[in-house]
Amino acid sequence: MLFFLFWLLGVGLIVFQTALFQFLPQSIGRPDFIFILIAFAAYRFAWIPGIVLAFSLGWIMDVVGGIHLGFYPLMCLLSFTALKILTTKSPVKESTYQIPLVGLSYFLVQMLFYFLYSLALPEELPEWVWGEALQRTVLVVISAIPLFLLFNSFYEIIQKRRSRVKPLRRRSR
Amino acid sequence: MRKNTKAIRRKSIFSAVRVILLVMTLLVVGLLLLVSTVGGRFGTAHQLTLDFIGPLQSGVTRTVSGLSSIKDDYIALWNIRAENKRLHVLVDKYLKELGEYREGYSTYLYLEKILEFKNKSKFELISARVVGKEPTYWYQTIIVDRGKKDDILEGMIALAPGGVVGQVIHVGEHYSKILLANAPSSAIDALIQKNRTRGILKGVGEKGYVLNYVLKNAEVSVGDQIVTAGIGGVFPAGVPLGRVSKILKKRRGMFQEIEVQPYIDFQKLEFVLIDPTDRQKILYSMGLSSKR
Repeated sequence: MLFFLFWLLGVGLIVFQTALFQFLPQSIGRPDFIFILIAFAAYRFAWIPGIVLAFSLGWIMDVVGGIHLGFYPLMCLLSFTALKILTTKSPVKESTYQIPLVGLSYFLVQMLFYFLYSLALPEELPEWVWGEALQRTVLVVISAIPLFLLFNSFYEIIQKRRSRVKPLRRRSR
Repeated sequence: MRKNTKAIRRKSIFSAVRVILLVMTLLVVGLLLLVSTVGGRFGTAHQLTLDFIGPLQSGVTRTVSGLSSIKDDYIALWNIRAENKRLHVLVDKYLKELGEYREGYSTYLYLEKILEFKNKSKFELISARVVGKEPTYWYQTIIVDRGKKDDILEGMIALAPGGVVGQVIHVGEHYSKILLANAPSSAIDALIQKNRTRGILKGVGEKGYVLNYVLKNAEVSVGDQIVTAGIGGVFPAGVPLGRVSKILKKRRGMFQEIEVQPYIDFQKLEFVLIDPTDRQKILYSMGLSSKR
């Protein structure tokens, strides 16, 4: 249920991101909501549902906006795995570090993918601009604050409902 | 002890299942990723995904576009009001100008017609502007801006491109009065052009003319042209007067009643042409010599 609802939320974010952002001016940039959701999943979800969520949403993003198929799900999976490993049984999991960690990981992922692209498809690679990479990262960090609040409240609402339903089931037995 | 052992077993089975599930998930994901990345082909799964997301995107885009256009329309309304006021002023101005141009064009056409008629005439006509009208039934007269100064004399005839207008009855120094041909007091010697049947054309005001004294056996039909007979010397022969519009043949009497629709619209007269050639005849008949 939790996975499915977050998956639907992810699909909604993809639609929002791909359909609505076209109306915004190019100069202000477009934050990657899916990356933020995957980072949230890395903090809160278990391995299996997290991987499936990251992969499926990455897959959809790949279909909707990717040029070379497979890169986006790979990026999502790597980001999820890296953040999951980093935050499992670690003080970094604390909410204080969550948002900066999202920004840091996003910046590192950008660099990693630039590196991978430079190996695989160097002819299609645009010039690396530090300013733009930082601008995108800042945008993700700024967007992550309200989105994390939203995801947290959504997550807690679902968890509360689940905890209410479970005792009732036990009693009925 | 047994319970603990069972619980430990269950736990280990559960964790094993989880590990298997994780491995399977990773395998599936890895396989899909491999196929997607290495194959690079936009396969069925990709197409299905696109078909799933496409309508959602389309819905959102349409909604946003719709909302955006509503917002734009609303904002535009504010500007439209001022624009509308400005355009109304412009429209009024242009309508006024258009009216003036139309009037000018209409006058031009009318004058062109008169000029054409004047040029076609074998005699020199004096053009006169209608400056006043007396529209009552009995006194169907007009005032024109030509008088004695322009050699206008009583008895001269007034014409228009459509035919006979009337006859000058009073002459002032600068203005003259013309009795219209459709005045009840007017009578013109006329004939039906096709068979030369003569009659007297009497004016009946707005209704036009009535051709009197045409015998019942005369062949007349609606549409026949009526022209001046040229008898009496006032009007030259063959000037158009009108067209037969109605024929009444009563049991009693020798004559038929023929209604004639004038060619000229007496209500719309603006210019007339006065024929001065008859002046000589008039002066001659009056026993006066023309020294001018």
